[in-house]
Amino acid sequence: MVAANQELTPVNRTVHTSDYYIKLLKTFLRYLLLIAIGIVMISPFVLATIGTFKTDLEITAFPPKFLPAVWHWENWSRVWTTDIGQGGTFPRWLFNTAFLAVIVALAQVLFGSMAAYAFARLKFAGQNAIFNFMLGTMMIPGAVTLIPAYVLMTKLRLIDTYWSLILPGLVGAGSIFTLTQYFRSIPKDLEEAAIIDGATHMQIFRKVILPLARPAILTVLILQFQGMWNAFLQPLLYLNSPKMYVLNVALSIFQQQYKSQWNLTLVGAMFNAIPVLILFFIFSKYYIEGVAYTGIKG
Amino acid sequence: MQAKQRGPVKTSGTLPSIIVFVSIVIVLMVIALLNAPTMGGPRVMASVQTYLTEVRATAIPFMIAVAGLAVILGLVAALQVRKVWGNARRRAELFTGYAFLSPYLLVTITFTIGVILFALYISFNNYDIFTRPTFAGLKNYALAFQGFTDPSQRDFLQSLYNVIWYMVIVVPIQTALAILLAVLLNAPMRLRQLFRTVFYAPSVTSSVVITLIFVWFYLKAGYVNYFFQTFLGWFGVSFDPVNWLGDPRGLIQLIVTPFGVDIPSTQWYFRGPSIAWMAIMFQNIFTTVPTFMIMFLAALQDINPALYEAARIDGANSWQVFRKVTLPLLKPITLLVTVLGTIGTLQVFDQVYLATRGGPLKTSLTPVYLIFQEALGVNAPINMGYATALAFILAVIIFFFTFVQRRMIERGTEQY
Repeated sequence: MVAANQELTPVNRTVHTSDYYIKLLKTFLRYLLLIAIGIVMISPFVLATIGTFKTDLEITAFPPKFLPAVWHWENWSRVWTTDIGQGGTFPRWLFNTAFLAVIVALAQVLFGSMAAYAFARLKFAGQNAIFNFMLGTMMIPGAVTLIPAYVLMTKLRLIDTYWSLILPGLVGAGSIFTLTQYFRSIPKDLEEAAIIDGATHMQIFRKVILPLARPAILTVLILQFQGMWNAFLQPLLYLNSPKMYVLNVALSIFQQQYKSQWNLTLVGAMFNAIPVLILFFIFSKYYIEGVAYTGIKG
Repeated sequence: MQAKQRGPVKTSGTLPSIIVFVSIVIVLMVIALLNAPTMGGPRVMASVQTYLTEVRATAIPFMIAVAGLAVILGLVAALQVRKVWGNARRRAELFTGYAFLSPYLLVTITFTIGVILFALYISFNNYDIFTRPTFAGLKNYALAFQGFTDPSQRDFLQSLYNVIWYMVIVVPIQTALAILLAVLLNAPMRLRQLFRTVFYAPSVTSSVVITLIFVWFYLKAGYVNYFFQTFLGWFGVSFDPVNWLGDPRGLIQLIVTPFGVDIPSTQWYFRGPSIAWMAIMFQNIFTTVPTFMIMFLAALQDINPALYEAARIDGANSWQVFRKVTLPLLKPITLLVTVLGTIGTLQVFDQVYLATRGGPLKTSLTPVYLIFQEALGVNAPINMGYATALAFILAVIIFFFTFVQRRMIERGTEQY
């Protein structure tokens, strides 16, 4: 449309100014749209956070009021000190969740970068076959391994232990893939110097590649942490006693128990959401690069 | 290795390759033992002895099949070792390579390959972990499709019907919205980082949190009804609050009812996705769009600006540039996003478990939710054979749809 306008009207000052106003209007509308979408995107968190301070009657009142009449800060301490018995408390669930997420993220980075080094920097028989096999396993739907893995855990009597989630999560195709791609992009000059100096692969891996791959390592660390923190189906299957719940599982129990007390359920939800959101706002660059990177592989 | 090179005679690779062969076979057989189709339970798992007795009793065919595989793999590896043993550099790379890969290989052989072989075997058996598996032939697979003849066994068919609707509606909408948001964010502007971060927030939090918040929104006294009442009120339209997650009326049913057509509940397959199911779809779109938006945004930033310049010089307007330049270049990422979307939507679980438990009238039942129920014995005795059979059928369906999409997208964009 802009192109058509320029053709039809003679070039003079007024055209420039009208063009200018059209541009200004477009910019204004664009920002208006962006702000509107932004509000929609964060509205669930804002409304839920405000909801945590309401009474159980206010929170299901119709029509709903935006703000509570009185801010009930005690909702938060009430949830924090909730004890559903058998060691099931919020601090414990928070610990379980954080512990599993940290261990799995660290293991994924360590074993993932080892495998990535093998794929990116060594040459040995079977390398390509294993790499392609790995890409193939990424296409296997999770539903297929869910049940037999559960049977395996039951047989090994690992149900209700941290191991049931740590062992299968030690290393994954996704992390290896991301790290391999990154390692391949690192120039080889530095290593060649190290090889001439007689360095072993272990030394090159630790002293040359790992320090250079810090952005990729941080990305994998963060995405794996988030993945484990947000996992639901497997913890729901594997962790059955209140002491061992992670926050997501505890929340689903919580919701059933406090069916009418939405204010308390929402506090629980915010306990779960806030740590990840804080982490995200600090490291948003790595998050977004990580997601973008998994996209580019396709 | 240093010691071996010292000798004047070049060491032969025979002994090391035998060691490699034996250790590979042993490791694989141990993993196979873990995944052997036997019953579990405290009595069997009391000691290695009792477990081995049980394996001998029920899992010999499985172990023989795996042993064959293990011997072949071991032989291949042993031959390689023998071949490269004389060359110090290649030998070092081979051993370092597999040492570095060993954690991945152990985990994936145990928890992916091993369990899938186990599941394949079990899907042809009756099995509940605590009794010995008994051969059932194709019974479990036949049971999945029994709903065609016996309406009381229709759960799996209805769950497939539900997730296919889910895929058909969610995947195109979320892909289109993700592209639109990405294009919107790709233009040069101030505060882009901030907008990008805010837009991405719904994808960061766990689906459990978002689902709980949405269940609250969808209450009869919730914000969604409030929004519709207020918004429609401005135009003088009255709106009765809807029980979003409890309304089983289907989309097609809603369309044809005003014309006096009634679809009885025995013909559930003509009703279309229910209101409850569509409410969950909306929530899912909300949480998935940001992730895909970021992928598209990354792809957009890789596009060479010179291409846009060229199109502009040729007199293309914004829409033409988008259609003829941007979209074709986004083809690979669009394919990835639709495939990921398909895999995700066909396996939806969290939302169903938290929001509707498969209801109302089974209109939000999904295959993974059914598999979960069968495995835990929620409604009937535990039936692992049936649960794994359902999982394999679902996997075949997922492969089929991703294959079809690949073909469609590749063909659909060729014309440019």
